[in-house]
Amino acid sequence: MRRLFRLSRPASEVSRDLSSELHFHLEMRTQELVASGLSPEAARSAALRAFGDVAQVERECRGISERRVRARERQAYMRGLVQDLRYALRTLRKSPGFTFIVVLTLALGIGANTAIFSMVRGVLLRPLPYRDPGQLVFLRQPATRAGVLNAQFSVPELTDYRAQTRALSGIVEYHSMPFILLGRGEPRRVQTGVVSANFFDLLGVTPALGRTFRPGEDAIGAEPVLVLSYGFWKTQLGGDPSIVGKTFTMNDHVHTVIGVLPPIPQYPGENDIYMPSSACPFRSSEQMINGRQMRMLTLFGRLAPGVTASQAQTELDAVAKRLHTEYPGDYHQDQGFGIVATPLQAQLTAQARPTLLLLLGTAAFVLLIACANVANLSLARLVRREREMALRAALGADRGRLVRQLLAEGLLLAGAGAVAGLALAWAGLGLLTTFAARFTPRSGEIALDAPVLLFGLGLGVFTGLLFGLLPALPTRVGLAAALKDGGATTGSSQSLRARAGLVVAQVAVSVVLLVGAGLMLRTVLALQSVDPGFDPEQVLGAKIDLNFSKYTSNELVQEFHQRLRERLAAQPGIQMVASSRGYPLDGRRAFGFDFQIERRQRDPGQVRPQADFQAASPDYFRALGIPLVTGRLFTDQDGPKAPSVAIISQAMARRYWPSENPVGQRVTTDSGETWTTIVGIVGDVHQYGLDAAPVDEMYLPFDQVPLREGALVLRGSAEAATLVRRVKEEVLALDPDQPLAGARPLVEVRGESLAAPRLTATLLGIFAGLALVITAAGLAGLMAFSVSQRTQEIGVRMALGAARSEVLGMILRQGLRLVCIGLAVGAVGALLLSRLMAGLLFGIRPHDAATFALTALLLLFIATMACLVPARRAATVDPMVALRST
Amino acid sequence: MAGSDLYVGTLDVLILKALSWGPMHGYGIGRWIRQTTEDVLAVQEGALYPALHRLQRKGWLDEEWGLTDTGREAKYYRLTPVGRRQLRAEITRWRAYASAVGAALDAVTA
Repeated sequence: MRRLFRLSRPASEVSRDLSSELHFHLEMRTQELVASGLSPEAARSAALRAFGDVAQVERECRGISERRVRARERQAYMRGLVQDLRYALRTLRKSPGFTFIVVLTLALGIGANTAIFSMVRGVLLRPLPYRDPGQLVFLRQPATRAGVLNAQFSVPELTDYRAQTRALSGIVEYHSMPFILLGRGEPRRVQTGVVSANFFDLLGVTPALGRTFRPGEDAIGAEPVLVLSYGFWKTQLGGDPSIVGKTFTMNDHVHTVIGVLPPIPQYPGENDIYMPSSACPFRSSEQMINGRQMRMLTLFGRLAPGVTASQAQTELDAVAKRLHTEYPGDYHQDQGFGIVATPLQAQLTAQARPTLLLLLGTAAFVLLIACANVANLSLARLVRREREMALRAALGADRGRLVRQLLAEGLLLAGAGAVAGLALAWAGLGLLTTFAARFTPRSGEIALDAPVLLFGLGLGVFTGLLFGLLPALPTRVGLAAALKDGGATTGSSQSLRARAGLVVAQVAVSVVLLVGAGLMLRTVLALQSVDPGFDPEQVLGAKIDLNFSKYTSNELVQEFHQRLRERLAAQPGIQMVASSRGYPLDGRRAFGFDFQIERRQRDPGQVRPQADFQAASPDYFRALGIPLVTGRLFTDQDGPKAPSVAIISQAMARRYWPSENPVGQRVTTDSGETWTTIVGIVGDVHQYGLDAAPVDEMYLPFDQVPLREGALVLRGSAEAATLVRRVKEEVLALDPDQPLAGARPLVEVRGESLAAPRLTATLLGIFAGLALVITAAGLAGLMAFSVSQRTQEIGVRMALGAARSEVLGMILRQGLRLVCIGLAVGAVGALLLSRLMAGLLFGIRPHDAATFALTALLLLFIATMACLVPARRAATVDPMVALRST
Repeated sequence: MAGSDLYVGTLDVLILKALSWGPMHGYGIGRWIRQTTEDVLAVQEGALYPALHRLQRKGWLDEEWGLTDTGREAKYYRLTPVGRRQLRAEITRWRAYASAVGAALDAVTA
């Protein structure tokens, strides 16, 4: 290998030649002078004088010569390489079938890996587009005993943590709300990030235009200012370069634009515009500022220089403990409040990580199988080419040259595979970005950028080297032997063993992939068969966020909804209309609240009763097809002035009244000031996802608890688009300044909640199918080769009386033995690996016996098919022809 | 590096000319230049070798090792086809140059 890649002749050779040349000159000159009558000494010094500085000349000449030698050897090497490549191209063109299969296999392997890697890089590896992103932490306040992952923070809590935490150089708040933008045509709903004045400074974002917020701009009474997102500025305002200083009317305030953000992904969510917390009427209300339990803020912090995340956590724990002792009424012990700081990047990608890593592992396995197949094909081809190689060796090609020849072929194939693979990855990128968007806000950062391209090409070179050199190894033994016995197959029995090993490995890896895909498929089937608790057919859900500077009282909200319901119910094609907090699977989390049951004492250590709060007008349950279990549904008599009533879900009834009838019982949420009577029980609904168990729910009549951020549920036989249009028209007819927050058919909403596992299952299925096809091809190839090698032996057996069926069985047995070994190894591997994907499964265990059994059967079936073709050829061997062909 | 009295390129063209008779070693080339120019061109003999190596690097000369009349091993230089073409071009250029300079020096009017 060293000689192969040496570019320059050792300097000693150049300088030896050079000094003998110069010595020769001096000697000849001296002789000439002696001949003309000088004494030898005088002649010698005269010669030196005439020559000049010998050392200087020698240095100069050596420099020139070394450059020349190097250039010449480089040239020779390149010429050799070009020759090799040209020869490789010719050889490959002579076997187009082989070339096509190999390039296709590699393209699929490399393409899959590059595409998945582009997701992993964009989402998991790439640092966040902020200054020192490693220092940013996400803060959450869990209430572990109440089962709440993040209760979020209230304004007093923000103030306390800010004042008492030294380990964080800053804490900022964030929440996102829809606002209504007026005065520019149709009223527009703009998603608005409400943040601390130091929000962008803490993240380290430099504005594209103007400035971001200054300290003090979030103080109560400060001038209302706005920062626009780049996308909003570009698409909605046409990239107006003089936007800074212009004003917008939002709700009842005039806001001045002070800057535009750069085009970077926004976390934790995309917003159209940003305003300081003081500009948000809700956030700056008395109730919010003093309510320690009004938790609705998301907090981020930046670690102070030199402080680790765990040091910060220790300090935050101490602050939390102080607050819990100071305000025992706001932190019920039985709810288990705490505080947790997580690196921001981990927080943003937590949901995507397991899926992406699973896919990356899967893709790597596919590439492995592809490489094994290509190596297998190359080995088979090499055995057939042993005579050619032997001939070339005999004609004087050294081993290095032959290895380089094989390498050139390998690299050429892998290069073509890599290019085709990158094209595949590029084609699939849009699909994958949509896929990733279901798990992480970072999906916008997925791209085929330079590192990803390098990754793809690197894979190509790696695989090229791998199967270029792999077949070269047996030639070490094979070359001489092949020459000696005239091309009979000495090296081939060895390579046959190697190939059998490759096939076993392929089968094993295929088993692992098939089991993974099978488990995911069963998960999707299980999710699909989950009864959501409601009937989504012909139902439309629309979110209605009323302008809170206009609808200032419950009466106004209630009146708006009532009139809207009346107008819509009068329309043709609409059977039922209901107002509610939301609709199932709408992604909005309901508020949870504590309650007490009349005449029931609570043990001190016991968790206080809790339920999710829902509001619903009478037709809500009928519109959604939620069944009434006992009692009654709401009626129009349950109006604002009527006695407070509630309907609870079956889950809640079972939990708190396991052995009595809850209908007629009373509960209170304000320690007995007002009491609510339970009038009915309805079926459970999967509110937050088909894979999430139904929660305890308490429905109150919408008219008694009207919600400014609410929804409308319609059942109608009209087209979904028509329904949406009608709702929009009627809302505008009631209030021309009121946009719709979004409306969707519930069938679509339900389908979407299945989309992520379905896509994961599809991708895994594609990969596993790919693996199966490649493996089957590898197996068939190996068996065909083995049959062609054993033609003589088979001929002898048949001449000695073996029946064709016996020959068929023999070949089948040989193939299936390999498959069974692979199956066993693969099953063990799948048992170990499937546990890693337990978190992605639903309704099935990672070592599900049926999935394993089905996988094994499928593989055996495909493998038998793959072996059958060559086995039948073996069975049709004509013994006379086979024996004569020696 | 040619001697200070040499015009640029003089040594190169002389080397090419010397080799136009056939392969020669460095010493032979130097002796030929000395004799044919009758020592008019005071070349520092050592300067010949960098020039030779440079011309070889340009691809005008090739090297081969051979035996001298006295049976010694020596490095012989030989003109490559490119070198031979180059010699013809250089000769033409030199003639034009010399006649132009000569004409200028012979001029009688300012």
